[in-house]
Amino acid sequence: MIDFLLEIGFEEFPPHFLKPAAEDLAERIELLLNEKKIFYRSIRTIYTPRRMGVLVLGLSRRQKPQVVEVFGPPKRFAYDENGKPTEKLLGFMKANDLKPGEVRTKRTKKGDYVYGKRQIAGAATESILRSNLASIIAGLEFAKTMVWNETKVRFPRPIRWIVALLDRKPLRVEYGGVQANRYSSPNQHFSFKPIRLEKPREYINFMRHGGVIVDPNERRKIILTRIRQTADRVKGRPVYNSEMIEEINCTTEYPEVVAGEFNEQYLILPEDVLLTVLRAHGNVIWIKDTNKYLYVFSAKKKALQNVKVGNERVMESRLYDALFFYQNDVKSGLHNMFIQTKEMMWLRELGTLYDKAVRLECFVELFKTVQGVDIEALKRAALLCKADLMSEMVREKEFTSLQGIMGGYYARASGENARVAEAIGEHYLPRFVGDKLPVTLAGALLSIADKFDNVVGAFLSGNRPSGSNDPLGVRRNGYAALNLLDVHKIDVSVMTASGRIQELYNRKADDNLLTEFLHERMERYLQDKDFRYDEINAVLASWEGNVPDARSRCEALREFRDRPEFSRLVIGQKRVRNIIKGVESAAAVDEALIKEPAERSLVQLHAKLQPRLKTMIKGKDYAEVLKLLLEMRPAIDKFFDDVLVMCEESRLRENRLAIVSSINDLFSQFADLSRIVIEGEKE
Amino acid sequence: MKRVHTFENVIINLKQYWQKKGCLLFEPYNSEVGAGTFNPATFLRILGPKPWHVCYLEISKRPRDGRYARNPLRFQQFYQCQVIMKPAPEDIQRIYLESLEYLGLKLREHEVRFVEDDWESPTLGAWGLGWEVWLDGLEVTQFTYFQQAGGVELDITPVEITYGLERITMILQDVSSVFDIKWNNALTWGDVYRDNEVEYSKYNFESVSTDVLSSLFATYESEANRLFGEGLVYPGYDHTVKCSHLFNLLEARGAISISERVKYIGRVRALANQAAALYIRKENEQTITSND
Repeated sequence: MIDFLLEIGFEEFPPHFLKPAAEDLAERIELLLNEKKIFYRSIRTIYTPRRMGVLVLGLSRRQKPQVVEVFGPPKRFAYDENGKPTEKLLGFMKANDLKPGEVRTKRTKKGDYVYGKRQIAGAATESILRSNLASIIAGLEFAKTMVWNETKVRFPRPIRWIVALLDRKPLRVEYGGVQANRYSSPNQHFSFKPIRLEKPREYINFMRHGGVIVDPNERRKIILTRIRQTADRVKGRPVYNSEMIEEINCTTEYPEVVAGEFNEQYLILPEDVLLTVLRAHGNVIWIKDTNKYLYVFSAKKKALQNVKVGNERVMESRLYDALFFYQNDVKSGLHNMFIQTKEMMWLRELGTLYDKAVRLECFVELFKTVQGVDIEALKRAALLCKADLMSEMVREKEFTSLQGIMGGYYARASGENARVAEAIGEHYLPRFVGDKLPVTLAGALLSIADKFDNVVGAFLSGNRPSGSNDPLGVRRNGYAALNLLDVHKIDVSVMTASGRIQELYNRKADDNLLTEFLHERMERYLQDKDFRYDEINAVLASWEGNVPDARSRCEALREFRDRPEFSRLVIGQKRVRNIIKGVESAAAVDEALIKEPAERSLVQLHAKLQPRLKTMIKGKDYAEVLKLLLEMRPAIDKFFDDVLVMCEESRLRENRLAIVSSINDLFSQFADLSRIVIEGEKE
Repeated sequence: MKRVHTFENVIINLKQYWQKKGCLLFEPYNSEVGAGTFNPATFLRILGPKPWHVCYLEISKRPRDGRYARNPLRFQQFYQCQVIMKPAPEDIQRIYLESLEYLGLKLREHEVRFVEDDWESPTLGAWGLGWEVWLDGLEVTQFTYFQQAGGVELDITPVEITYGLERITMILQDVSSVFDIKWNNALTWGDVYRDNEVEYSKYNFESVSTDVLSSLFATYESEANRLFGEGLVYPGYDHTVKCSHLFNLLEARGAISISERVKYIGRVRALANQAAALYIRKENEQTITSND
């Protein structure tokens, strides 16, 4: 049994790429070992900001021996007529070291052949690793890479050393102009002197002495322990999540924690601002409701005092800036900023931020009948929601992410009522996939309005999404608007909404493209709610833009589709569609032309059910609608069994087509059931 | 005896260190720049296949960062020490860390963190990958491997190391405000620059004449275009740099909207790209002539 260590050393790696890359590397090594049938006892993933690798313990020296079947001549050439081996067979046996008893015959496609089983010794683990390591490293994929020397090899940061040690022997491997060897690099705060490794088993301990905890799990535990200990010492509750801890883990080799303080005067800053300042300065964890924080660093403990003082100075400067902006903004007031939006272009061709705000103010009138809405507050919020873009705080790069949130604070400070402030504060939500949604109704409605305005604006200004290109990110905007309409069960049609926005822009977008876009977004939204594509197609075939309604219809379909009678209903509906395909008959049914009983009973049933169906659809009781449609199934089946629609006589034919068409209209009020795919049916 | 790390000594020591590492010692550019990168000794010399090692001081002007001398760490003007090593040596990170030790910092008593920061200058059509270097949490250096400049992929990868001299000196002298650092044994940085900071903050934020600057921008832009048309790289590039600074001033004044901003940047970049293309063409012509 032998051990293997691979360590790729580089200058500080981008923290977000590190963990996935290291895991990918370990998986590829594992895959290689499994594929090549090389036994190993354990494999450990290693990463720090300056290295990634694997430590494999208990490897076998060679591949497992393989048994292969070797084929010789065809049976008829292998034996003579007396059944004795021919020269050909003897030659084959000699070449493959087979004894007479070990030769067998096998029937193959080409006829009967002789064959034998032969054991092949496995190749040495060393040569397999040596010949595969470079291509494994080259196979790692990254979103962003660079070149740094004449090899023009690409990697996120320059590779500076490689350790590839198989037991006591460095493997001759080269990548990116670096020759693998047995020397690793310690934490540079400890020493520049390379660490010489005799064998892989020394690695973890030797590196620890060099100020590097190479195992990410061990490092994470140390970080959490130190955070807890230091927080206990200052008697506070640290505010962090696992994402922050992992980021710290990816930026430290030897975690130490120090508690810092800032001037208490900065506690008057809104909590969002405070947290933005602290977090922008990586590796900082706030102790809730205090002027204290923890900072995780990666140097010698001896550095603690300098690190504390240095960080406090930086924090002072940043908080000073934040307070400076905040106080200036509060002094200037949201209404002043609002006036300035008249001079700030939003998008070329689409006017100023002020124009946008006025548009939103008019647009939200659409929501005046929404239950529970305070329409005056909503309109006020719409008018003021872009004003904070003129604030000193939001104009500063570091605080751009606080757009809207600052607007909320400034609205309150300027005496606006709480509903207005809340709506402004939430109207950018959700900002990204998986972000939280607005909590208040007004916030949600304003968000919907703003997002519709962005979508339509993109179509009007030549920025509509196509392919992988979406310059204004309106796919996400569109999706979020649909999501919010659904969550808050708002019955305003998206077609009405986009039409209204265009009126307010006083410009016309390409309606087909816009409708197609909204349909596509809706499809995507429903897919994400786990509806099947045929359910979605059926419902969206006659969609008029009501989001929660489309969802309820999909839900009803999902509930009914497994009933046995449902598939017959669908098949009937497919026949209906096929018959009227290409037929333009808008004529009303003429009672006088009804001949067959099956015709009559279907027409009567239709007349009886039509008003009930209307009421149910109005009441959005789609389970009942489907039950009702199911009730019609026997009559429809009977009609098709007994009546020949495409008969010779044209007046009868026209009338029957009108009957079929009326049935189709009835169903279409709910969905196009012909689009449902029935099990066993070819699409 | 404890060595006094005066501001001027830090400058002298740093230049000396890089001279020993083979850098040509150059001097600041003669027009306002946002960073040493704009100096032709960086922007033009990193193009093409010739090696280039240089170290120089640069006065970086960032109108937006002015705080009327009230923030201990932020100013509209500060000193940079700019180093270009083309090609970047394999052990450049260590060379850099040792330069800090050369200035008198003991690495075992501080934390030096390389914080991911991919540098990009949309006005120069340039970008690179690298870090902000934090010394005890304070950003003291920008460390970048250039990949592209003037819209052109670079033949040889240079490294750019830009030190923020006031901040490093602050840590060396253990003071909390840049205004308090000793320039020499008699005067502080504040003695030399406080009034300048206050006045320039006022100029940048309040007194800038938007109309004058916009018209200057247009004038310099058309001059640059004309000069490039005549095949004059350096004069054309000088006018490009002037445009870039005027844009910075206009932006600090809050006179440029979001969409206008993109347009301005595009205009400066178009000039920078012309300069780069012309420089490379001339370099190639020279190589061909010298080969004859």
